[in-house]
Amino acid sequence: MTVVPVTKVLTQGIGEADLRSIDVYRKRGGYEQWTRALASLTSEQVMEYADKSGLRGRGGAGFPTGRKWSFLPKVEKPRYLVCNCDEAEPGTFKDRMLIENAPHLVLEGMLLGAYGIGSHHAFIYIRGEFKEGHRVFSRALEEARAAGLVGKNVRKSGYDIEVTVHRGAGAYICGEETGLLNSLEGKRGEPRLKPPFPAVEGLYGMPTVVNNVETLAYLVPILARGLEWFAAAGTERSKGYKIVSVSGHVQRPGNYEVPLGTPVRELLELAGGLRPERTLKAIQPGGGSSACIFEEQLDLPYDYESLAKAGTMLGSGAMVVFDDTTDFVRAAYNLVRFYAHESCGQCTPCREGGHWLELVLERFTQGRGLRGDLEMLHRVSAAITGINLCPLGDSIEPFLKSVLVRFPEAFEARLAGE
Amino acid sequence: MNEREAEFPALLARLRPQCEALIAQYEHHRSALLPIVQLFQEHEGFVSPQAVRATAQMLDLTPAVVESTVSFYTLFYRKPVGKYVVQICRGLACSLNGAEDVMRIFRSKLGIASLQTTPDGLVSYEEVECLAACDRASCGQVNLEFVYGLDEGAIDEMLAAMRAGTYAVAPMAQTEIPGRSWSVAQNADVARGRKSSGAVGTRSPDNAGGVGDASGVIMLDRIAELGLAFHGATHERSVREAKEIVELAGDHLGTLGNDGRAGH
Repeated sequence: MTVVPVTKVLTQGIGEADLRSIDVYRKRGGYEQWTRALASLTSEQVMEYADKSGLRGRGGAGFPTGRKWSFLPKVEKPRYLVCNCDEAEPGTFKDRMLIENAPHLVLEGMLLGAYGIGSHHAFIYIRGEFKEGHRVFSRALEEARAAGLVGKNVRKSGYDIEVTVHRGAGAYICGEETGLLNSLEGKRGEPRLKPPFPAVEGLYGMPTVVNNVETLAYLVPILARGLEWFAAAGTERSKGYKIVSVSGHVQRPGNYEVPLGTPVRELLELAGGLRPERTLKAIQPGGGSSACIFEEQLDLPYDYESLAKAGTMLGSGAMVVFDDTTDFVRAAYNLVRFYAHESCGQCTPCREGGHWLELVLERFTQGRGLRGDLEMLHRVSAAITGINLCPLGDSIEPFLKSVLVRFPEAFEARLAGE
Repeated sequence: MNEREAEFPALLARLRPQCEALIAQYEHHRSALLPIVQLFQEHEGFVSPQAVRATAQMLDLTPAVVESTVSFYTLFYRKPVGKYVVQICRGLACSLNGAEDVMRIFRSKLGIASLQTTPDGLVSYEEVECLAACDRASCGQVNLEFVYGLDEGAIDEMLAAMRAGTYAVAPMAQTEIPGRSWSVAQNADVARGRKSSGAVGTRSPDNAGGVGDASGVIMLDRIAELGLAFHGATHERSVREAKEIVELAGDHLGTLGNDGRAGH
């Protein structure tokens, strides 16, 4: 077995030094990019770093970051940067690691992002369950404020930047950017109809960019080491690095940072491989909303295009590994129940469809599946896809369909009377 | 009026400066809704009707709007809970790593089901969605602090320490004796956290819906037909509708008299 090289960019220093302390962070070069940007870079130049580096959104959709920023209208209106730390996609735990262990890196990324889009007020929306992350990040923000890195006329640059920490209160859907904005406005976290997109009408109806924690954090090394350095890693269209959360049936579950395009097999090896005497049944490569890949696809490069071509997606970068002890009926029930529970209830297909699928699958887990149910699972999950305000309803079908097709016998064995 | 209610005005007076500081963080007052309600919950252990009214008043909203917003979020407890809220992850990665056993042990040792509180008011127990700690599955939280390694011995120790008042995580404020469940439910199915109304109480999705021939699956098929057309033409349709609205508004304005009221 070859030894897979370990990559450390955002994960550099985590577990070795206490990066939660501003002194430690600064000794390692922290906030140098922020002070450099203020002293010698224009907003346009920072935007160019985001754009030309090929950085794509690390939250799930993989949208090019520079392009997202470029949609902001050129108008004299307040504009906002919102850092999305409402991490709740099943299997994903990279943003939590970053804010709990490297809060200053996240903050510096936010400051650069805000400067890049010309925003004077940035928000971070932290998932309600992340009490520790909220505590750590809030302390880091106070340290940065005391050090004169956040506030009015930072470093006599004439640039004002305020940062507000906002805690969620328990709702997966607030990770969807317009649901997040509604929640940040003190409303129910229900997604909005798009267009208008947040870049045009976001927070308080003003131009707004919502970026994931990991996306913003990558701005720091991109400015430090150059956009060519970042763009040199990865593949032609999936550039740079990505933190992949590997969990499930592996020996060393954890966050592994890799250049995009790393074969899935190597990610599996980094996570210690399967437990002894076990065989691989499936891998869900991109969070709860992604379809499974299987043993014969282990050489797939882990990047946006290759996974999309294979009928699945990279998503949030959460890889859940299933060995031969897995009960796929229960696994399907588990994820469908999750989406049914987290549906905000605005769109009928998602609200009702998810609920019905959950009821049918619950019946299967009890060995009471009915003849015709399998066909119905296919039909209903397809029927609720593509017709909702946000992608939550569309997230139900991929995993369910992929295991129904691959392991039909697991479901057939749970029909009543079998 | 119970003791908590009697003390509420004093609590409000004490928290008001903090609430005002929270409001000042945002360009729009209403953004402070979640933080203010969180603050009240921290002090009262749940979101009391008095807290809802006070929040509404500070933000110039109706209590119904605050209540509606609060009810959207699972971490707002709308009825009193135990001093320790134990939340065990039932997410996929945890379920692959023993969560079923952890949940079974908690249920049997506490003698309660998910969304219930022990009769002594000490522990509220809930099975929750993925907590983003899958690297240490199976995991959970106590009063939102992460807990790991939950085998039977660890659970025994945890519960004993809670009973003895020596548990590492600080207890929640408790200003009222909790009831059996803090879930605000209309009926048993909704109590399970379901938002769907159409299929409540039905055994088969084919028979859901319950009105005339509108069985659940037929309804979904119809939505799908309409929906796909909608999906393909979202932008076109919104542009057309926006134009129509302007035209309609124009027609309407034309019928207005000088006093601004519609003429007859």
